[in-house]
Amino acid sequence: MTLLVADSLDIRIGDQRIVEGASFAIEAGRSLALVGASGSGKSQTCLAPFGLSPAIVQGSFRLDGEELVGAREARLRHVRGCDVGFVFQQPLTALTPHLTIGAQLREAWTQAGAPRPSRAEMAAALERVGLHDPRERLDQYPHRLSGGQRQRALIAMAIAHRPKLLVADEPTTALDAMLRAEIMALLGRLCDEEGMALLLVSHDLAAVADNADAVAVMHAGRIVETGPTRAVLGDPKSDYARALIAASPRLDAPPPALGPIGAPLVEARQVSVSFARPGWRRGRLLAVDAVDIDVAEGEAVAIVGGSGSGKSTLARAIARLGPIDAGEVRWRGEPLPPRKAMRPRDRAGLQPVFQDPVASLDPLWKVRDIVAEPLRRLRPDLDRMAVAARVEAVLAEVGLDPTLADRRPAALSGGQAQRVAIARALGPGPAMLLLDEATSALDVLVAGTILDLLAELQKQHGLAILMITHDLAVARRLCHRIVVMDAGRIVEEGPAERLIAAPAHPITAKLVAASR
Amino acid sequence: MRPALILIALIVVAALAGPLALDWRYDLIDWDAVRAAPFTAGHPMGTDSVGRDLLARTLVGTRVTLGVAFAAALVSLVVGVAWGAIAGWRGGKVDEAMMRIVDALYALPFMFVVILLMVVFGRSILLVFLGIGAVEWLTMARVVRGQMIALRDRPFVTAAEAAGAPPVAIVLRHMLPNIAGVAIAYLLLTVPQVVMIESFLSFLGLGVQEPMTSLGILLKDGADDMDVAPHALLLPAAVLVTLLLCLTRIGESLRNRFVQ
Amino acid sequence: MIDLIRRRLLTALPTLAAVVVLSFVLMRVAPGGPFDGERPLDPQTRAALMAAYGLDRPLPEQVGRYVWRLLHGDFGPSLVYRDFSVTDLIARGLPISLTLGGLALLLALLLGLVTGMAAAARPGTRTDRGLMLGATLLTALPSFVVGPLLALAFGLWAGWLPVSGWGDGYPPHMILPVIALALPATGAIAKLARAGLAEVLAQDHVRMARARGLSRSRILIVHALRPALVPVASYLGPAAAGLLTGAVVIETVFALPGLGRYFVQGALNRDYPLVLGVVTLYAALIILFNLLADLAYGWLDPRARR
Repeated sequence: MTLLVADSLDIRIGDQRIVEGASFAIEAGRSLALVGASGSGKSQTCLAPFGLSPAIVQGSFRLDGEELVGAREARLRHVRGCDVGFVFQQPLTALTPHLTIGAQLREAWTQAGAPRPSRAEMAAALERVGLHDPRERLDQYPHRLSGGQRQRALIAMAIAHRPKLLVADEPTTALDAMLRAEIMALLGRLCDEEGMALLLVSHDLAAVADNADAVAVMHAGRIVETGPTRAVLGDPKSDYARALIAASPRLDAPPPALGPIGAPLVEARQVSVSFARPGWRRGRLLAVDAVDIDVAEGEAVAIVGGSGSGKSTLARAIARLGPIDAGEVRWRGEPLPPRKAMRPRDRAGLQPVFQDPVASLDPLWKVRDIVAEPLRRLRPDLDRMAVAARVEAVLAEVGLDPTLADRRPAALSGGQAQRVAIARALGPGPAMLLLDEATSALDVLVAGTILDLLAELQKQHGLAILMITHDLAVARRLCHRIVVMDAGRIVEEGPAERLIAAPAHPITAKLVAASR
Repeated sequence: MRPALILIALIVVAALAGPLALDWRYDLIDWDAVRAAPFTAGHPMGTDSVGRDLLARTLVGTRVTLGVAFAAALVSLVVGVAWGAIAGWRGGKVDEAMMRIVDALYALPFMFVVILLMVVFGRSILLVFLGIGAVEWLTMARVVRGQMIALRDRPFVTAAEAAGAPPVAIVLRHMLPNIAGVAIAYLLLTVPQVVMIESFLSFLGLGVQEPMTSLGILLKDGADDMDVAPHALLLPAAVLVTLLLCLTRIGESLRNRFVQ
Repeated sequence: MIDLIRRRLLTALPTLAAVVVLSFVLMRVAPGGPFDGERPLDPQTRAALMAAYGLDRPLPEQVGRYVWRLLHGDFGPSLVYRDFSVTDLIARGLPISLTLGGLALLLALLLGLVTGMAAAARPGTRTDRGLMLGATLLTALPSFVVGPLLALAFGLWAGWLPVSGWGDGYPPHMILPVIALALPATGAIAKLARAGLAEVLAQDHVRMARARGLSRSRILIVHALRPALVPVASYLGPAAAGLLTGAVVIETVFALPGLGRYFVQGALNRDYPLVLGVVTLYAALIILFNLLADLAYGWLDPRARR
């Protein structure tokens, strides 16, 4: 029996057409994944027909035979309350902060008219989604739970009233890489057990591969390809789906050709970093615990780990862009001075590129001045003319149109902004780049082109790279060697291919599983 | 926002240039027209209880009130931005100590401290605006510190450090320009509060001294005389309320534009 | 929670002590004293008066004696109201000022919250914009303008309500002063409640509640209201200060024998012990209100209960 049918769905916000002519169907108890880049209209497709966005909906959207397009708000509210459950992207903010988990679960349980549940029933519901100590959780406020725990609680609430359809909008995107697979699997299992249909929205084609019966690929408001998951992934028919699949780094792709490795460049010994505990309790939190790490000239090293593993803190401590408690960092055999004593020539050798491309550019400065800043400060040998010429040259090298030089960051796309940040880092002619999750905020296709650009630059200039990432597949695309961190320590390291093929440490194995 | 800007401009121009165009000075007494009603010959808005031209007094009073307000708001801007910027940039113990001081000062009945100062050091207009400026920088300091802390963790600030910019350059060239919009918005929100405090002090007889006048004094005189000459209360009241309303409106729309 | 209160008190008490000591020292080092009137006193009388009031002792000793007496509820003698101690004057004036301020705060909270909620429930509509313009107008109308205008309209022209005196607490005497005092705070609270609600209504947990099919009123009251009141709670401290300040004016306008009147008289006549006593008392009151605001936080947002 077909549960949900969308037929020639059009969605507009103001004069802007967000979705055009989208058609798809979900059988009762089966699952469909809507996959596309941000702005492709995939979220609106699953939210607007239920009255959860201010957009105007036309066409047809029938749930269990009932037409929802044009239905009154009161009716839509009833449908949302009784027939559908929702899970969203941001578990940290999706729970009402001043109500206990139990109060919110009870509200969700009774929203479709069911009798008030007993504490035992509610505790069982929390246990079912994999929350430990469910009875204690019932009396806790949301801020006591971690992101993954909150998402589990939200899932429990979304299915508490036994809906026919579960809508999950990027349910794992905000979670730690190692948790994603678990939460995905949990969703799939619950749907099987309850006979619920699942409408899954994701930007990540690989992530839905094991968890959806069918896939609809969206691009610029249209569904460009739809079919059984295996067929679409294995043999994409549309150009867009083919490009999408090609751009996602995969662990089973042939190993990339990497440049040669030279003499030792960075030798870090016994690096420790700690932070004051949040709140008023005394004591410090050891974020990085006596770590040794080396990078040679021309070598690309990835530090991989979950959030809170200390990978970013370690990299910043080495680059003298963050605090360091103890340890020594040598650069070409010489000890690197502490953060406040860094001279221009020390800084020129190691340049960073950050995760959020737009936030890493001063919003008030023009692209030209942003790229020129490190040149003016770190290369006193260049006069004004030489700086201007160098700016032009690096912008061209990262593939940016010279006309963009007079724009401000707000007028750039995410990919363009990240190219500007790379151009800025290349300007002073560094021997090493620090890439802190440099592609993880970008759409798959854009991230793919940025990875290609970085690989090209690395080979051409013989750049060393220290890359921070949670994604082993991205690390493998660029790096000779992978270092796995957990709880401030290195738990495993080795050549990329060896480490992925035969992970020795359970954390590594988890990360490999999460990147499949 | 535009109507508010136009109104403010009109009031400022009238307060600066208006008295020149009038027949009577603000402190001259017209013995033939005590408590004259509006639209009397020579006194378009009438006179007060001792026969001084009300329009002239209101314009001069507006000038004094606005002058004190902007001067005090500037004092609060300079002190507040410097305090907040240092606390927000340095962080840690310095920040904690500086913000404790602000918290402690916040908990004081400031109006009363200003009055206390007036009592101790006598009533001078300089003291009025120094005192008010000393009160009003606290909010500015808190706002600027909050913005500095938010900016300090933004990657573009780290990128500037990696680009070799020294701390002074990072604060002056990257951080403060990004705070300027918010600071100006709060400056404009400070002005109406200062107008209010000045009027309040003058109303109680603790601010500007006769024969010099201000909106507060005019309101006090008008209130004392309101049963026989209500226009003497209504005109300065209308000017004060218009000023406060327009300044608040401009300040709030600027704040909404700059504060995320 | 208890930890929070203890920490707040740890800041509050030194603040209070600093206010007392600094004010006292300021008063003493200031040029001119209460006996430097228009008619100079002969040196002997002056010296005798100074000795009688303890003004001839060294400064630290004066401070110590003042604080010691303060701890016993003795604010010293008034220099202007010669027959009364400052404690007497406070005992007479404070009940009136507190009644006035308390009623005004309740009225402002009630009116302000209702207005703010009504505006936030229909964002962007004419109702919303009208209410918010009204609220801005209220904040821009100082109580010393509203007071006389209300007196003019309802007292002198319409003749409905008394405009002067306390009438020994006879309620009609309170109506106009309380309204005049409450209106500016009403506007401010309405704006804060509107802004707070608008912000909370745009948050993820409200979207989640909407996705669950909950009704508008349930979302507003159960899921949105409490976090939206955080800005209102943080306004309690400044509101208390504003009401105490406003009360000074309102008591002058409506000729009420409250503490504010004594304070202004004391300030105009350099009655140091009186001014000092009132400032100390007000500082304590405002610190108390800030503490209440902190407790309110804890109830509104469990994350603040550390």
